Amino acid sequence: MQTRTIRAWTWVHKWSSLVSTAFLLMLCVTGLPLVFTHEIEEVLLHQQWEPGRADGAKLNLDQVLEVALSRHPGDVAAFMSFDEDRPVVNVTSVDPKGPADIYNFQPIDQTSGAPAPPVAGHPVMEFLLQLHTDMFLGLPGMLFLGAMGLLLIAALMSGVVLYAPFMRRLPFGTVRASKAARTRWLDYHNLLGAVTLAWVLVVGVTGVVNTLATPIIAFWKDTALKELTAAYDAPVAAGERASLDAAVKRAQAALPGMTLQFVAFPGSSYSTDHHYAVFFHGDTPLTTHMTTPALIDARTGELAAVASMPWYVKTLSLSQPLHFGDYGGLGLKLLWALLDIATIVILISGLYLWLAKRKKKP
Amino acid sequence: MSRKDLGFRAIFGAPIILFVLSLIGLVGALLEDGLWDWLGAALLGTPLLVLTWALIRRRG
Repeated sequence: MQTRTIRAWTWVHKWSSLVSTAFLLMLCVTGLPLVFTHEIEEVLLHQQWEPGRADGAKLNLDQVLEVALSRHPGDVAAFMSFDEDRPVVNVTSVDPKGPADIYNFQPIDQTSGAPAPPVAGHPVMEFLLQLHTDMFLGLPGMLFLGAMGLLLIAALMSGVVLYAPFMRRLPFGTVRASKAARTRWLDYHNLLGAVTLAWVLVVGVTGVVNTLATPIIAFWKDTALKELTAAYDAPVAAGERASLDAAVKRAQAALPGMTLQFVAFPGSSYSTDHHYAVFFHGDTPLTTHMTTPALIDARTGELAAVASMPWYVKTLSLSQPLHFGDYGGLGLKLLWALLDIATIVILISGLYLWLAKRKKKP
Repeated sequence: MSRKDLGFRAIFGAPIILFVLSLIGLVGALLEDGLWDWLGAALLGTPLLVLTWALIRRRG
């Protein structure tokens, strides 16, 4: 490789890393406990809860909705979701006259209609997640972290290129342990980077895709979802709606073998003004993040369409497990943690090497 | 320098193998449950095994 080429790649590696290191360190440090969110919350928030009726007879979804809305008179329903391990239906409603972003969230015991304790995340975990996702800055924060992810990818690519000149006389795995600290840490940096590349790249790229979740969903709503509903004009008033319970049953019949995830009501985000959008997911690690909505005409209760997600929403769905590492049991999570720690060492050693080199220069 | 420079395979061979094994592990565990959870973790664990090996035998 020519000296000039090496110098150019060194420049890319130096600046892509320097700009992003502080943020990548924050992401690695907050990401480490987040890998074990489920396990940590299980321990911290473990609470015994029994449904009101032991025989398991359940209210239908129309009854649940009625109970929920009676506790917030004037609200309209936005979403309904279903707990997986207890007979609880979560109703999210909003006051149409109030501020648009203030939602009322009610977990309801489907056997009795009584309120059920929410399974909210632990405040510390919620804080870490928010910091990790957008640094409490909303969409701009998310997109900014996405840009930092792009810099990480540039740093990885330039790191691969620079690996060749650095390693041209050193067999793979060399650590010159008795040499000066700078040489030793250069070897650690190169070795760690070389062995962890695939994982760091996958988590980095999927992290970038996840930062685009908001625009991706907005685009899906503006294009694919709108096309399905072009034939309608006036929104369906709440009084004109067909039975929710029947709508969900109709959707289930259209998508046999899939698991009910949530319902988006007409007029809410994730649906149109005219449909119940009933979302299902599959049962394998791959398909559990892949949602498919069935749109039910809210006036007639008839199936309007099964809206298989376009490729860009599927890409987003696939990026979630590959970023979180939550799809292969505890073994995979432990590896996620170890590789995350390796990445922290790479980041810090890179910073150290830059500082040490600067100090050496006159 | 009297020693000859190493070729592409000597430099990138091991990293490429680890890259491919890790990717198969990452995707394999995603596609199938059960056995693949363990196989995927084992494959994704190879970089850490190699790392341990390198750290144990690090030399002068």
